[in-house]
Amino acid sequence: MAAVTTGAPARGARLSFRIPRTRGASLAFYIVRRVLWMVPVVLFVITITFVLMHLAPGSPWDRAGGRQLSQAVTDDLNVKYGLDKPLWNQFLIYLWNVAHFDFGLSYQYQNQTVTHVLLESWPATLTIGALAFAFIVPLGIGLGVIAALRQNSAIDYIAVGFGTLGASVPNFVIGIFLIIVFSVEAYHLSGGNIFLPSGGFGWNEHLILPVITLAVLPTAYIARMARSSTLDVLRQDYVRTAWAKGLRQRLVITRHVVKNSLIPVLSSLGSIFALLITGSVIVETVFAIPGIGRSFVVAVSSRDYPMILATTILFSVVIAIVNLVIDLLYTVIDPRVRLS
Amino acid sequence: MAAAVTDQLEEIDWENPDQVGLWQDAWQRFRRNRIAVIGLVLVTAIALAAILARLVFALHLPILQDYLQQDPANADLSPFHQGHILGTDELGRDILSRLLYGAGISLTIGLLTQLIYLVIGATVGLTAGYFGGRVDNLLMRFVDVWYAFPDLLFLLVVVSVFGASLLTIFVAIGLIYWVDLARLIRGQVLSIKEKEYVEGARATGSSPLKIILRHLVPNSLGPVIVALTFGIPRAIFLEATLSFLGAGIVPPTPSWGVMIQQGYESIFAHPMEVALPAAAIAITMLSFGFIGDGLRDSLDPRMRR
Amino acid sequence: MKGVSGRLRWLPITAVSSMAAVLVAACGASGNNGTSGMAPNGQQILRTNSSTEPNSFDPGQTTYDYEGMIVRNVFEPLLKPKPDLSDVEGAAASSYDVSSDGLTYTFHIRQNAKWSDGQPLKAQDFVYGFQRLLDPSLASGYADPFFDLTIAGGANYSNVDPKNASAVQSFIQGLGLSAKDDHTFVVKLAAPAGYFKWVVTLAQAAPIRKDLVGSNYTSWASDPTRVVGNGMFKISEEVAKDHVTMVPNPNYWGDKPHIQKWIDYFIADANQAFSKYQTGELDMLQVPLANQDTVNSDPKLKAEQHKYPSLGTFWMAPNIQVSPFNNVHVREAIAHAVDRNILVNSVAKGQYVARTTYIPEGMNGYTPSLGSVQDYDPAKGRAALQASGLPTSAYDHVKLLTRATTTNQLVNQYVLNQINTNLGVHWTLEVVDSKTVTSRIRRGNFQIYGPDGWGADYPDEQDFFDVFTTGGCHGLNWGCPNDKAYDDLVSKGDAALKQSDRQKYYDQAAKMMEDQFWVAFLYNRYDVTLVKPYVKGITSTGIDESNYIPGDFNTNTIFIASH
Repeated sequence: MAAVTTGAPARGARLSFRIPRTRGASLAFYIVRRVLWMVPVVLFVITITFVLMHLAPGSPWDRAGGRQLSQAVTDDLNVKYGLDKPLWNQFLIYLWNVAHFDFGLSYQYQNQTVTHVLLESWPATLTIGALAFAFIVPLGIGLGVIAALRQNSAIDYIAVGFGTLGASVPNFVIGIFLIIVFSVEAYHLSGGNIFLPSGGFGWNEHLILPVITLAVLPTAYIARMARSSTLDVLRQDYVRTAWAKGLRQRLVITRHVVKNSLIPVLSSLGSIFALLITGSVIVETVFAIPGIGRSFVVAVSSRDYPMILATTILFSVVIAIVNLVIDLLYTVIDPRVRLS
Repeated sequence: MAAAVTDQLEEIDWENPDQVGLWQDAWQRFRRNRIAVIGLVLVTAIALAAILARLVFALHLPILQDYLQQDPANADLSPFHQGHILGTDELGRDILSRLLYGAGISLTIGLLTQLIYLVIGATVGLTAGYFGGRVDNLLMRFVDVWYAFPDLLFLLVVVSVFGASLLTIFVAIGLIYWVDLARLIRGQVLSIKEKEYVEGARATGSSPLKIILRHLVPNSLGPVIVALTFGIPRAIFLEATLSFLGAGIVPPTPSWGVMIQQGYESIFAHPMEVALPAAAIAITMLSFGFIGDGLRDSLDPRMRR
Repeated sequence: MKGVSGRLRWLPITAVSSMAAVLVAACGASGNNGTSGMAPNGQQILRTNSSTEPNSFDPGQTTYDYEGMIVRNVFEPLLKPKPDLSDVEGAAASSYDVSSDGLTYTFHIRQNAKWSDGQPLKAQDFVYGFQRLLDPSLASGYADPFFDLTIAGGANYSNVDPKNASAVQSFIQGLGLSAKDDHTFVVKLAAPAGYFKWVVTLAQAAPIRKDLVGSNYTSWASDPTRVVGNGMFKISEEVAKDHVTMVPNPNYWGDKPHIQKWIDYFIADANQAFSKYQTGELDMLQVPLANQDTVNSDPKLKAEQHKYPSLGTFWMAPNIQVSPFNNVHVREAIAHAVDRNILVNSVAKGQYVARTTYIPEGMNGYTPSLGSVQDYDPAKGRAALQASGLPTSAYDHVKLLTRATTTNQLVNQYVLNQINTNLGVHWTLEVVDSKTVTSRIRRGNFQIYGPDGWGADYPDEQDFFDVFTTGGCHGLNWGCPNDKAYDDLVSKGDAALKQSDRQKYYDQAAKMMEDQFWVAFLYNRYDVTLVKPYVKGITSTGIDESNYIPGDFNTNTIFIASH
């Protein structure tokens, strides 16, 4: 079943299934089922997106200002891209094409396939997102756990203060602030010798500022989350018992506290990871990164239907996979949780 | 006055320890938590200032374009210039009055949307987590769908269908981010529900609703409060995005989100136009964070003496 | 195409006017007359920002200014504007003749003109390029109205079914386009059009090689590095959504560019681009309104700032078809209610020039004597409202529709405040995303909209007056006036062979617009551009994309001085 549930026989309606005997087989069985579930999920996402897309005011050929295309040109464009057919027909054609992994031509980048545009822009997003995630996990959890262990100490206040600031200043402001300090001002102060590139993509130096910007809010969030759940765990009976039994501090903390406090953090980490690798429009715009987040927003605001649909499909698959992984991780962290 | 109320409550506490005791006791502990009280005082002060600003300025001062300030030769937007305590923005409007007026709008949006998230998120999360099985699977796949959904497209359509209004703002924002909370609560419930006390309650035949309310809700409170606290600024910023789509607060009426967004454009020239609303949001958030921590500690049954 | 917000083919301009001429002299002088102090070839790198990635590098499929700027440097049209915009001069064609009836244009292609792969440029390449532009199955955004309404046989463009290949072929073959020989390109017009010499300066009016297009009719230019053009530059590299790099075309017939590597970035965020300029990673940059104060207060930046007048006029557009703006007095009231001086000096920080007439200063046909009828005068405005005979309720709660861009909002909040204060009404703003605004305007679903305006595609008035004709509204419907008398004046102006006759009709048309208050004119705009002191040799032409790169019609004169 989805995710995690107990093996409590009282609710064992699913016992009618033949349950594989070994743990490995059961795991495989579970994964296959979840992967199959993606088909209806994606179908549903396509349908709703398709409907929403056509409900949104404005057509792909409306221009953001100035001289509009004439009716004749607009009609010709509709024919060229098949938009002259009835909507239900367009929908079926689209589904048929998607079944063959043909996602069509972008309206905006003329004569480029949507697949090509996506493959061009995703790597930048992935790089930055994955790097940011690599910072968020240890920093966020570490800061949170330490803050909780030393509640009301200086480090606790720093963690809370950082968490608050990180969330009250929007990304784009943090980004431009970093640019002003480490790029523009550093350039002026050092006479042009030492400064970070303000934006762009290609060299390693380009990654520093956007990764920091991207990581601030999630790190703050995870730190607060980890602090809160660690405080909860510290009050649990088994931890008190462990302390009372005189177990070594490190052992208690690693074996009991950290592990258990990770449980609520895990689902948040999943959401954050999914968000990071599907791209942040703001960070990509502020740092001029040719990523998928920006191209998606441009697609929506220019009503580039095939780009919108394909990106949404990509996102829904990514999210479904991330959620599956998270659910699998639950079974590792919390042995009481079993897959059914 | 607070003392009088507590005295009263204390009496009731003896008569009905089970029902009122939890809340009475919680309030006692909350009051002793100095930081939480500071948070409460700050939030109250901000709320009062916002109400007062609305009564006093009635949107006159916040949108008044002081042309003296706009004489390009003497343009001075800095604080304390010509009686503008926090200075003026590029159109010569007093920033302090805009901040105070915007407080009402942004706080309402920040808080009400959290309520919407909580209602939807908790319902879905608790149901999925508690019942598990098919229910869980179905709900979580629905969450997958919702998550994959393009926010911007969704907002555009909501805006065009419902038109720009305060209701649109709540519907649009409220329907977007509840999924995070649903997943979070579900995860919490999954890890708690195998605990002895829950198993015990189940064994004694307690109804699911009772188990959820009595055990699961209080025990999963901590992370939920954190999530809600962080949700406040997110909603405030989202409102600014909405105004881009035509459904937010229509200018010249100020909101914090819009002030930050406009300030960003001229951050090189006038950094205060970003810094001030950001500071306002930070103070608000910190206050709610303090209150949240205080609430969690005081509601935690294990902390009861 | 023309437009207003920066994303469109919106035509900036430079030079020309007296004021502009001074600027050109100031910054162009060092350039045109010599290349002293030029840095070695290795340092001839120019880094610019055009904000947005082109949708296409195929001239026939481009419509925006940021595309035109690149395409114009990769493909050379027949003619180009003289730097002072007084007339056209030879480009790919060395000269042209017009028959006495004004119907036949004969262009003489340069004998030594070549494609970047070394093949000679032929008249047939222009025939093919123009035919393809008018092919309904390609649906080129610039086909209408520039080419279908001018070239003989093009009027049927809108009736051809793009799916009917034989109908398309017979339409294309029936166009008045022919190659008399390899170096003589002949265009027959449907009617005299004094402005046609300007139409062929458009970046879209490029030659295309049939053998290169082959069977990839729409996608032949998908790989920009394999595009073969006849311009000064060719594309050497493109990194999607990041930048395009151009290098000199070794086979260009004329003076080869000094710049050995021109990198044009697609940085959308103004603050990011501004940072890059400050850290020396960009050599030219348009100053966004929001950053103008920073530039003003920094002596170094201020010294690097150049102002290029932009051939565009902005206005508020009431919907003439609906109440209360079907009443001329209400329209008049708006025109009198806005103090343009505060707008241009304080709100726009000197980036705009107050203007209450249609044709912008610097363009052929600018008539300073016109426009005073729309001057700022609040008392007159209130009197006009009284004179409308409408009850207050008819005009008290109007919604002002605007695009959600920062600049627009700043100007709009000011305009709204002026109208509310000076006329004592209670109007509100409606700030909406661009596409929604466009779709609403096209359906006439608005009360008053702005600021919007018109930027020149080419410096001939026809391009401006066409906008308000009944047939020329092109779905703009800024409350299209649909006025027959105006249409007649404009078509007489278009067809007249003598420039002085054209001017006479156009001036009457302009006066009609102003007197009827079809729109309330507000301002012309400058392109305020930062240029590093070591970038020399800019030849501003008045209509180049000076917000991206001033002098883009004559990029070959730009060079980097030793620094």
